[in-house]
Amino acid sequence: MSTDRILQFELARLNAHLPEQRITLKDALSSSNPQVVAKDGSKHKFERVELEYISKIVHADDWDKLRLPILIAVNPKLGRGAAEISGEVEVKVISQVLGKECRDREIVIYRPEIAVVRAKLPTTTQYFFMVG
Amino acid sequence: MELLKLRQRVTLAQKGHDLLREKMDALVIEFFEIVRKIGIVRAKTMQQLSSAYRSLSTCFAVQGTIETYQAAREAKKEVGVDISTRHIMGILVPTIEAKLVERHALARGYGMYATSSALDEASRDFERALGDLIKLAELEEGAREIALELEKTKRRVNALEYVILPNLKSMVKFISMRLDEMERENFSRLKRIKAMFEGRE
Amino acid sequence: MSFKIATIADAETAAGFALAGVQDVHIHERKEGTLAKLDELLVSKDVGIVFITYRIAEELGFEFRRRIKTKKLLPVVLRIPDKTGWLPKVDELHEIIRRTVGAEIIVKGGS
Repeated sequence: MSTDRILQFELARLNAHLPEQRITLKDALSSSNPQVVAKDGSKHKFERVELEYISKIVHADDWDKLRLPILIAVNPKLGRGAAEISGEVEVKVISQVLGKECRDREIVIYRPEIAVVRAKLPTTTQYFFMVG
Repeated sequence: MELLKLRQRVTLAQKGHDLLREKMDALVIEFFEIVRKIGIVRAKTMQQLSSAYRSLSTCFAVQGTIETYQAAREAKKEVGVDISTRHIMGILVPTIEAKLVERHALARGYGMYATSSALDEASRDFERALGDLIKLAELEEGAREIALELEKTKRRVNALEYVILPNLKSMVKFISMRLDEMERENFSRLKRIKAMFEGRE
Repeated sequence: MSFKIATIADAETAAGFALAGVQDVHIHERKEGTLAKLDELLVSKDVGIVFITYRIAEELGFEFRRRIKTKKLLPVVLRIPDKTGWLPKVDELHEIIRRTVGAEIIVKGGS
């Protein structure tokens, strides 16, 4: 049925904005033109202001551990309006933005918090829709 | 098995609906943030632009109309923008940076001889306004793209929620009920046949 | 990537932008001429932004709106006020917001 095909198409397209390869904070900071390339070849540029903000939160030793963009993972199983951040360094960054103390490997954040994160780090975070 | 395939389609449609609704919610967040920024930048830009028009009027009065147009023709035209893109969930949105917008009086290019500070002031005000306008262009274009994608996504979510899923679910229910009915008919038919055989013995 | 800026305006506004260093400045006189210029700018590979006054865009009417709907991502087109400050009655962005927020409320209700 064609609606199924439209649905498959839209679902495949959900994550089309995500890059083939993410880059580390270290590489981004040292590049004169920090950006990533999506599967269709289009480019996504990271704002220097955001990179510098993040570099102040993350210890220099961890700069090559943090991959950008930081993914805001949306899984409907978490409930509407909730998303997950994974990775110790990633969680540290997001917690700092939200003014929370958190040392976990993963946290769940909710819509108003997502809004704050997206406003502060619009190019260094991206949504990731968990289709599988 | 038709019922099985149908049930799979319901699951797919439900999953699709939930995910697309999350995308829609996310786009709304993006949209409101950019609209908020537009509010601020628009106010600033309009003020600066008004100021620039006033300075220009003054310049026409002080410097003379012909002379002002002459200076406009002679002014160095080196201003430009760097445009790159950023991704937001299926759409490409421009990021625009002004290059070389505010310049020194000397760099402007029109003859320093016989020009006045009114001309410098008009140039400077327009240079500032240009910087603001470039930022506004970036934001308004972004808002437009997001709004378009948001509307498209919303239509899909609504179609799934109000048409497709209810249709599929009622088809599943109908076929399920028919199967049950057929099984009951079959069962009672078998009982009658059995009774017939038993009656003969 | 680097791009130029273009302006379509009345003589005075155009002069202001020229003084600010904008290269491509078109002074609006007749509808056909300006539409031709707009078409030229819309397919140009090195123009990144086109500024056009609200007044002129309004005068071009449907022809302008159609081109905006069907154009590619670049150049970005922004309408600006001229020295009279004239603005159309309906603010396009407010319309978009109303449509988006209004419908969004309906969808939220059907959770």
